[in-house]
Amino acid sequence: MSHHTLRKKIKPDNLSRLFKFDRAIWHGNKPSRSLLGVSIVIALIMTLPLLYVIYQSFLAGSESWMRLLDTRIPQLLWNTLSLGIAVTLTSTFIGVSLAWLVTRTDLPGRRIWRWLLALPLVVPPYVGAVTYIIVLGPRGWLYQAIQAAYGNDFSLTFDIYSFYGVFLVMTLFTYPYVYLVTSASLRKISQTYEEVGRSLGYNGFHIFFKIILPMLVPAIGAGGVLVFLYVISDFGAVSMLRYVTFTSAIYYQRAGFDIPSASVLSLVLIGITVIVLLIEKLMKQKKAYYQTKGIAKESRTLSLGKYKHISLFYVVFLFLISVALPIIVLVYWTMIGAGSGLIDSSIFEYTLNSFQIAGATAGLSMILSVPLVYLYSRHHSIVSSLIYKLSYTGYALPGVIVALGLVFVFNNHIPFLYNTVFLVIIAQLIRFMPQVLQSGETAMNMISPRIDESARSLGHSTWKVIFFITLPAILPGLLAGGALVFVSSLKELPVTLMLRPPGFDTLAIRVYYQASEAIYAQAAPGALIIILVSILPLYYLLKNY
Amino acid sequence: MKSNFIFGVTGLALLSLLTGCDAVSDSTDDNKELVVYSSRNEMFVSDLLDKFKEDTGIEVKALHGVEPLQILEERNNTQADVFISNDIGALEYLNQEELLKATDPDNIESIEEVYRAENNEWIALSSRARGFIYNKDLIDESDVPTKMEELIDNDYSDIKNGYAITRGGNGGMISNVSALRYEWGDERTQEWIESIQDNSAAIFEGHGDIRRAVGEGIHAFGLVNNYYYHQQLLEPQDNNVGFVYPDQEEGEMGAIVNGAGLGLLKDSPNEDSAQVFLNWLLEEENQLAFVGESLEVPINSNLTPPFEEAVKLTDLNVQEMPLRELGNYFEDTRLLIEDAGLDLNLK
Repeated sequence: MSHHTLRKKIKPDNLSRLFKFDRAIWHGNKPSRSLLGVSIVIALIMTLPLLYVIYQSFLAGSESWMRLLDTRIPQLLWNTLSLGIAVTLTSTFIGVSLAWLVTRTDLPGRRIWRWLLALPLVVPPYVGAVTYIIVLGPRGWLYQAIQAAYGNDFSLTFDIYSFYGVFLVMTLFTYPYVYLVTSASLRKISQTYEEVGRSLGYNGFHIFFKIILPMLVPAIGAGGVLVFLYVISDFGAVSMLRYVTFTSAIYYQRAGFDIPSASVLSLVLIGITVIVLLIEKLMKQKKAYYQTKGIAKESRTLSLGKYKHISLFYVVFLFLISVALPIIVLVYWTMIGAGSGLIDSSIFEYTLNSFQIAGATAGLSMILSVPLVYLYSRHHSIVSSLIYKLSYTGYALPGVIVALGLVFVFNNHIPFLYNTVFLVIIAQLIRFMPQVLQSGETAMNMISPRIDESARSLGHSTWKVIFFITLPAILPGLLAGGALVFVSSLKELPVTLMLRPPGFDTLAIRVYYQASEAIYAQAAPGALIIILVSILPLYYLLKNY
Repeated sequence: MKSNFIFGVTGLALLSLLTGCDAVSDSTDDNKELVVYSSRNEMFVSDLLDKFKEDTGIEVKALHGVEPLQILEERNNTQADVFISNDIGALEYLNQEELLKATDPDNIESIEEVYRAENNEWIALSSRARGFIYNKDLIDESDVPTKMEELIDNDYSDIKNGYAITRGGNGGMISNVSALRYEWGDERTQEWIESIQDNSAAIFEGHGDIRRAVGEGIHAFGLVNNYYYHQQLLEPQDNNVGFVYPDQEEGEMGAIVNGAGLGLLKDSPNEDSAQVFLNWLLEEENQLAFVGESLEVPINSNLTPPFEEAVKLTDLNVQEMPLRELGNYFEDTRLLIEDAGLDLNLK
């Protein structure tokens, strides 16, 4: 009896405490249950592969761990980190120097260069790798040219299938990340700082190193992290150039269905990714302060003087080897293919497949990101930001790990969807939806919360408000993000390669396969289509930076 | 311009979303189809499958580059009807795991019994032998090894540009090692692996890389299957190559042979199509199409090899091991190779 009364006494007290707690978390602004539920489900799907891979790697047992730690992991660590660091440093140098030349000096044609130098971004590195194999490979254009000029006496010693080959290709096609972020930041830094420097009698280079560079550190750091994460997650270029990093090793282990080893290697790669992201976070916290208001007349540019020619040569040279050369190679081989009738109608089928996957991924990304963005920006709380951040998991993870996790889950637990196109779409959604979240969040922040708050206070359901008020307002932002997802998905290689059903090939897969079999006349047209379509949303990207 | 672009992209996205769903629902149709998993080079298989589709009207869905362990992993959720493999060891291994089904197709007697499983759970259609492709400009035929064992005794460091092998995980290398284990036992085989790992000048992903490298003079000779030599001879350039079949003398081991063939999967989703495929494939014309551009040698000795100068199986001194023995070594040969220090995958 006393027991009963005790419970009666405590229960309401507990409940009210719970309510208080709940209110404290949500700051009195609790989302509807369905909105919260839908968002949690989406976030869980987004993190599913990661959780499953970690779970599997613990199941792998100490024997697998010891064997891999003894044999493969040290070498893979060295291969992966040395490549990542070398490419990051070099791309940073190239990206920062180009950004400075284009935004701050009287480089001839700087307004056009500003756009042209971002173009390598539309060349997927595996396509870049193909073109460099064609040019610098064992029987490539350079070899033939040397043979023609000097005969057999002169032998070519550069081996494209080596660390240096991968390093060259990855650098050329990733420097735009640093270039774009740094240019955007440079444009925001007031020129009064430079004028102060000049009044102190510094020359242009002193001003750059003593005044500008320290202010650029956060931007350069962010660009560098993008490059590093890209390099360690790349599969296509690395495997085409026969270099082995964690990512390609995981791919080959899973091809042989050596799941324990694949999970163990994945866990190490996840660890590297997390460490890099933590370093970036630390750098952001130390972010330097710089003034963005009252930008002075943009017209004052630094005169390059006697360095003008060498600077122009540097810019032209980089453009030639990172944009012009690949395009020329691809157009050349497309023409050969067209001339000899090697290009058949199957390329339309592959293009259609690619567009279907990319379209479905982009469409679903836009739809699914709406509740997440709404919850995050209209119901601030620890819970909503946790849900939101979890949804970014796939963005930082290498594609091979996403695919690996999904293979486990679907083959063992959801067999009827295994080996279907859905699996490919889900995997790409996990990887690319964060691009829509980013642009959707930006758009959301620009509309006043008062409008939908008042609509909700009038008794309209959350979903009604989202559909009729929020959605129309953030649509342009969502679509811009959707366009980026479309292109990312069109270029995507490892996930599609690992998850596609039998008989289903995309452009990217054909380009990869035909290029690795050295059937360049068939690989080139597909690669050109991917590049041309990718140019479209670049306009948005450049406007955002 | 901005909004036009946006609506263009949305339209495209929604359109492809719709057609995408359409394509997905297609797969549940009960149209006649055949799902093929293959571990053989796509170029050799896709013409054959196109011909099958043309002859029978059955739609073929193929997945290339499949390793046998994928079929093991999918045993509770079988996806494929047919597994085409370039390694009999893998087929016999799947057979021992009871994943393949007994068959009795027409014209089965055209394939000698040693080249099929006990109840035709797998059937080999083309054959290849291991040997050394060499560049005639770089090395004299007499300096090329004539016995597998010579790779232990001689380090070939005096040969300019050295010799090339594939990574340990390559199917051809695995079955090569299995055959040596059958012949020599594990200790001597391990010694052989250690020697080639230490002494070879290069380790490549696949045999295609080796034949090109030897043709181009990047290496003097390489350990490959004979059909890669046939392929290199047909190249417009870099084709001054020769081939040595090792262990051919009286009393020696004989050339190590492996085959390519196929098996039907138990619980296959399209059983009828699979039976049609098997019967179709054993027609002599299609046995030749199976060999196709690979330039391997057909197992059926009545057929003229597509590469006419090819040495027929019956003209070779061949190792006396029944091919199905390879299945017994399939699982642990990889471990032996790794333990001997030859990496399964390139580092």
